[in-house]
Amino acid sequence: MSTVSGQEAVSVGTGAAPLPGARAVGAPRAWLRLLGSEVGLTFRRPRNIAMLAVLALVPVLIGVALRTFGGPGETEGGPSVFGQVTGNGLFLTFAALSILVQLLLPVAVAVVAGDSVAGEAGLGTLRYLLAAPAGRTRLLGVKYANAVVFCLAAVAAVALSSLLVGVLLFPAGPITLLSGGTIPLLDGVLRIGVVVLYVTAGMAALAAVALAFSTMTEVAVGAIASTVGLVVVVQVLGVIPQLSVFQPYLLTHWWNGFDGVLRDPMATGEMGQGLLVFAAYIAVFGSIAWARFTGKDITC
Amino acid sequence: MSEQTRRGRAVRWGVPIATVALVAGAIGAGPVIAAVQGDPVLPERTAAQLLADAVRATESGVKPMSGTVMQTASLGLPGLPEVAGMGGTSPAALLAGSHELKVWYGGEDRFRFALPGRMSETDLIVNGDQAWLWESGTNKATRIKGAGQAGPDHDRALPMATTPQQVADEALKRAEAGTAVSVSNTEKVAGRPAYQLVLTPKDGSSLVKEVKLALDGETFVPLRVQVYAKSAAEPAFEIGFTSVTFTPPAPDNFTFTPPAGAKVEEKSLADLGRRPEAGQERAEALKSEITTVGEGWTTVAVLPFSTRDLTDPAQGQDGRPGGQDATMVADALLKSARQVSGAWGSGKVIQTKLVSALLTDDGRLLVGAVTPEKLTEAAGRR
Repeated sequence: MSTVSGQEAVSVGTGAAPLPGARAVGAPRAWLRLLGSEVGLTFRRPRNIAMLAVLALVPVLIGVALRTFGGPGETEGGPSVFGQVTGNGLFLTFAALSILVQLLLPVAVAVVAGDSVAGEAGLGTLRYLLAAPAGRTRLLGVKYANAVVFCLAAVAAVALSSLLVGVLLFPAGPITLLSGGTIPLLDGVLRIGVVVLYVTAGMAALAAVALAFSTMTEVAVGAIASTVGLVVVVQVLGVIPQLSVFQPYLLTHWWNGFDGVLRDPMATGEMGQGLLVFAAYIAVFGSIAWARFTGKDITC
Repeated sequence: MSEQTRRGRAVRWGVPIATVALVAGAIGAGPVIAAVQGDPVLPERTAAQLLADAVRATESGVKPMSGTVMQTASLGLPGLPEVAGMGGTSPAALLAGSHELKVWYGGEDRFRFALPGRMSETDLIVNGDQAWLWESGTNKATRIKGAGQAGPDHDRALPMATTPQQVADEALKRAEAGTAVSVSNTEKVAGRPAYQLVLTPKDGSSLVKEVKLALDGETFVPLRVQVYAKSAAEPAFEIGFTSVTFTPPAPDNFTFTPPAGAKVEEKSLADLGRRPEAGQERAEALKSEITTVGEGWTTVAVLPFSTRDLTDPAQGQDGRPGGQDATMVADALLKSARQVSGAWGSGKVIQTKLVSALLTDDGRLLVGAVTPEKLTEAAGRR
């Protein structure tokens, strides 16, 4: 099935080469067509569908558990956001995302992004995709864009499932913010949209790391495992108090920095810094992936 | 592989290296940009002029403003990781690490403090005769009665978490004969040009190297207070604005209605302080027994002490409620104590960056911002 997109890449690359003007016009369209076929492949793979289903299932489990056993009492000192879920279903989105962003979302993103180049190399389909040397940068761009689309889909799956479960199982209505004020339901849904975009940006930064690993190996599992391993190690480093100086430079430190949307007025400072960190990671690891991918010998 | 390919590959790897350099440059750019822009130069003022201006500005009332205050403490208290692990709103947690506080100040009776935590927030909102304490972690809103005096009184109970103004007032009171005072006019705090008042203790046995107080160049509002210990280049205690704007904050910051489903309580200020009558009497009795040795920066307080009152010194020192936290801190401190002895007797010394304490075996506690040697000297001077 990878050969289908490979043929397209070849035909576009060779067809446009003699006519630079035509290429400039046709390039974005060809790029989009290539992306479309990549995205189609990604979302048709049973493995990826299963991962999305698992991600969507977690909010259901949390919701049912909270509904059955009630929220944590104030004496237990659990995360207060769980207590708020029972009062307002919309909080389930924040609770679910803040849990899943720690490990399950990164794993799903690492699988897709880590597999993107190494998987093709392992199957031997990569050389068909790379018939035109000028196409390598574009191919890498498409692979990365595809991973980002999957990030958005995974985060949106969690958010939509939480919204649905939250509204079905718990009362929904005006949201009480952390600062004690209340905002209308629609405003709350908009703020959830902001959180979805922020978490997607965080996952896109991880996808860049996974893509860089993916260009360095022909064994997809190696790229996936090293990405997940890195996430775990960095998270462990992040909780050691003696190393707190390095925390602002760690990717994982910023992933759940979205609680600013629940304040009044909305605190954007931390999220802005988080986005800068994500952009820095995307730039560094994206350029590493590019240097490695455009310079490497494709032998299989 | 041809020579050309190899060279091409080297050029390609130049791109990520350049990107890393760019990111590192961006991280380090802040200080560089500040250096290129040069120091802001304000009209020169002597310390006396500056203080007079500051007092005048205070008398005419602080301008409405809003901003973010960062408080950082590295007091060198031993055994603090466990304390640092506590919640962000616990008073003892303020003794270590960095804490952010948002301030909206509309006037003397209209202000809001917010202490953000991970997925939680504690707010103190005062608007005229209405005062609310909102704790999102426990979903509890407390209405404070007698709000007229609420602000200042509550602030004194929590000396670590107040605005720079109050801390600055404390520091100003200490400027005495034993202090060298100097002023610089090239400081920049929270992006604003500022005067900096540097107070340096003249006595060599003081643990305090210097206290720096930054005043806004235009409004003379204290923007930052830093306390430097002799043993460290970084400030041992710092509280200051990281961002500040002198425009009246939006009125909705001062309105608060308890959200639906929240527990609403009503408490008078005395309840909130949680100071039982008996405890207060004992504290007053204790106050009369305290004697001091020396003066200025090297004042040593001597008070009667027995092992039975183990947790009391912590409470007496800062006058802050919260028995459990105080016990924890006191325990951590006692574990680090060092045995000393001399002509005056023997006892245990606890030393932090800014404060030393000596517990003598004959039942006295000596505390001061001085070296342990000075404490033992004071102990011999019965």
